[in-house]
Amino acid sequence: MSAPGQEHEHVSVERAAVEGACSECGESQLRRYPVLSEGGWYRVVKCESCLHSESREPDPVGPVVLASVVLV
Amino acid sequence: MTEAIVSEPNLRDLTEEEFVERYGAGRFTCGVLANRGRYVAEHICTDLLHRAFSPIITFSQDFVGAIVGPPEQDYPLAAVNKGNVIFLGSLSTGVRNTVWEYGIERLEPGDLLICNDPFRVGNHVNDMCFIRPVFHAGEIVSFVVIRAHQLDIGGTVPGGFSLMKKNVYENGLVLGPQLIFHRDEPVKELMRTILDNTRFGETLLPDFHTIRSCCALGERLVQDSIERYGIEAYKGAIRYNTDASAASMRAAIASLPDGVYEGEDKVDSDGVDAEQEYRVHVSLTKRGERLEVDLSGSSPQSRTSLNATALDAQTAVALAVKLVLDPFSPFTSGIYRDIDVLVPTGSVIGAGPPAAVMFYFEIQSVLINAILRALEAPLGERAVAGAYGSTNLHTGEGLNPDGTPWFSAAELEAQYGAWGATDAGDGNNHSGLATLNMIMPSVEEIEPRVPAIILHREYLPDTAGAGTHRGGAGLMKQSLFLSDGDHYLVPLHFRSASGSGVYDGGDGRAGGSWFFEDESSDATTPVSEFRIPDPDDFDGSAVVSGVVDPSSGRLDPEGEFAFFGRHPIWSERRGSVLRWITNGGGGWGDPLKRDPEAVKRDVRDEYVSIDGARDDYGVVVSGDPDEDPEGLEVDLEATARCRREKSAERAPGQNVEGGR
Ligand SMILES: [Zn+2]
Repeated sequence: MSAPGQEHEHVSVERAAVEGACSECGESQLRRYPVLSEGGWYRVVKCESCLHSESREPDPVGPVVLASVVLV
Repeated sequence: MTEAIVSEPNLRDLTEEEFVERYGAGRFTCGVLANRGRYVAEHICTDLLHRAFSPIITFSQDFVGAIVGPPEQDYPLAAVNKGNVIFLGSLSTGVRNTVWEYGIERLEPGDLLICNDPFRVGNHVNDMCFIRPVFHAGEIVSFVVIRAHQLDIGGTVPGGFSLMKKNVYENGLVLGPQLIFHRDEPVKELMRTILDNTRFGETLLPDFHTIRSCCALGERLVQDSIERYGIEAYKGAIRYNTDASAASMRAAIASLPDGVYEGEDKVDSDGVDAEQEYRVHVSLTKRGERLEVDLSGSSPQSRTSLNATALDAQTAVALAVKLVLDPFSPFTSGIYRDIDVLVPTGSVIGAGPPAAVMFYFEIQSVLINAILRALEAPLGERAVAGAYGSTNLHTGEGLNPDGTPWFSAAELEAQYGAWGATDAGDGNNHSGLATLNMIMPSVEEIEPRVPAIILHREYLPDTAGAGTHRGGAGLMKQSLFLSDGDHYLVPLHFRSASGSGVYDGGDGRAGGSWFFEDESSDATTPVSEFRIPDPDDFDGSAVVSGVVDPSSGRLDPEGEFAFFGRHPIWSERRGSVLRWITNGGGGWGDPLKRDPEAVKRDVRDEYVSIDGARDDYGVVVSGDPDEDPEGLEVDLEATARCRREKSAERAPGQNVEGGR
């Protein structure tokens, strides 16, 4: 569990840089991060400039780790 | 596996042949079947409404019924009833997760699968998700789903609405995917687990049986649809239905100018201390037909049960975006097709275990407000002003004079309140939050069960945000308790105004909460002798929450914030009175442009005082709203002069008066 929040503390989604250019607009601003959309969680590689998705891998449970994961 | 990303045709451009090729039936048949899906969802909910015992189901209507499509279509949310929309956004993913984890190959006809884990299915542990597979020719072709709030699911406080629960262990029983009925017979091991760990089993148990039979009815009705129209048409209509709402949302997104729009709103506290406010920050990036909603910059998950999961964040995004951009299309999972939501794990809007998730709807409410604020500028005159902000939940328990226990949850707070104004007109005065279209239980239903008398529900003048269209008015509500009691109070948005004005409208006034204790009363004092405070009387009150003048207890924007959490439990004597004043809704448009006749009507109806008419609207009204309400008059000449002066007083670019 996170430490108690302080006045200006905040949490953010990390966007990891990915090599290459967008196949739609050509900009070299690809990033990888998790999103929720139709169909649940995905790990996407998207263009920051035009929001085109280069890839979308379904990720059923997403980034949340359940306590009962020890069973799996 | 990587999904192919293909652009979709415009449904309206398809020829009839192309449509039949794509959906296995014609437009007319698909339309009939889509409507029939909504009818099935409505029918099973009417059945539940009539037969449930739990007051939160049958009076407050805290449930929803839905049809989820087949696994090969990835469990789309195909049809819902006009129920509590707070459940809609996570139904597709919740059912997919539950069936996937349980194992679809293990499901048999007559099975009823449940899950209530917020991290798997969204919402909170009280909100049990019931899932019945629909079989056709040995294959699962749909799921009939009821998501219904259970009156109790264990945990530290009856009903569960305590903010002070610190982790999942205190929060209530967590049930992963498992069967509660197998082949239409109860699974007694699970029933015992639930009934041995929860309160009010005499209500829960018959409701479980009722919900099973409602889902069975839904299955028969779906099978009837398939018999009439064929399985290909049935499945095709589900695809059509989700494609149609995806197309509607896509067009709505496209109508917004490209750009990055940011907004935020805060919850007053998580109940531990007054220092830490909890922020939800939103950044909406819109490019063409695509929308990305990033909640980065939000506060960490709270120390108490003030948390929402990522699935609740996704629901709130859908409801907010739908509210402002696409309010008329049916809600299906297709609306998410062009919307990606980024939720920081470990945040108050994307909590993870072992954080307690109970008051997720409060976090959703500030997220919706943050989105309305972010979209104010790009929407222009289509912007929607903010609402009352918090359900202010109350739970009370104690002993009646005859020694029997009493209990009340989500009935005696100010759960309903003002909405913001829009281009269509003034804001409603008394509705649920945008996430919570429930029904307020009636006084006649509450008072026979709970030792309390609801004394007042009345609107207060000059609380609504001023505007060409006025926000909804703040509500003063008072209840008198006829028994000693322990009260759990969760007012979460009195520190700042929630009803933000838009398009030059003013903000609604922030409200508060008070307890009045009658120190002269005892167990034998007749009810007629209790002190009943007049609405304008604050003497001797304990301020539960609100920004007040500490010497008088009256609301004062320059005053000090009274922190409700200084008493985790408010123990009050027989004869005490609980008062709420809800936040006013935001105004839409310049108040100096409001029709003077509408302002006069507001003075007659006591939404606006004569002083407020002049100060906030520049409208000069004369007469006596108390003694001669129909004799009020507008002085048009003085009004024109007053409005000219007020316009001239505004510095260039300055926003209007009326709360800002
Ligand atoms: Zn691009």
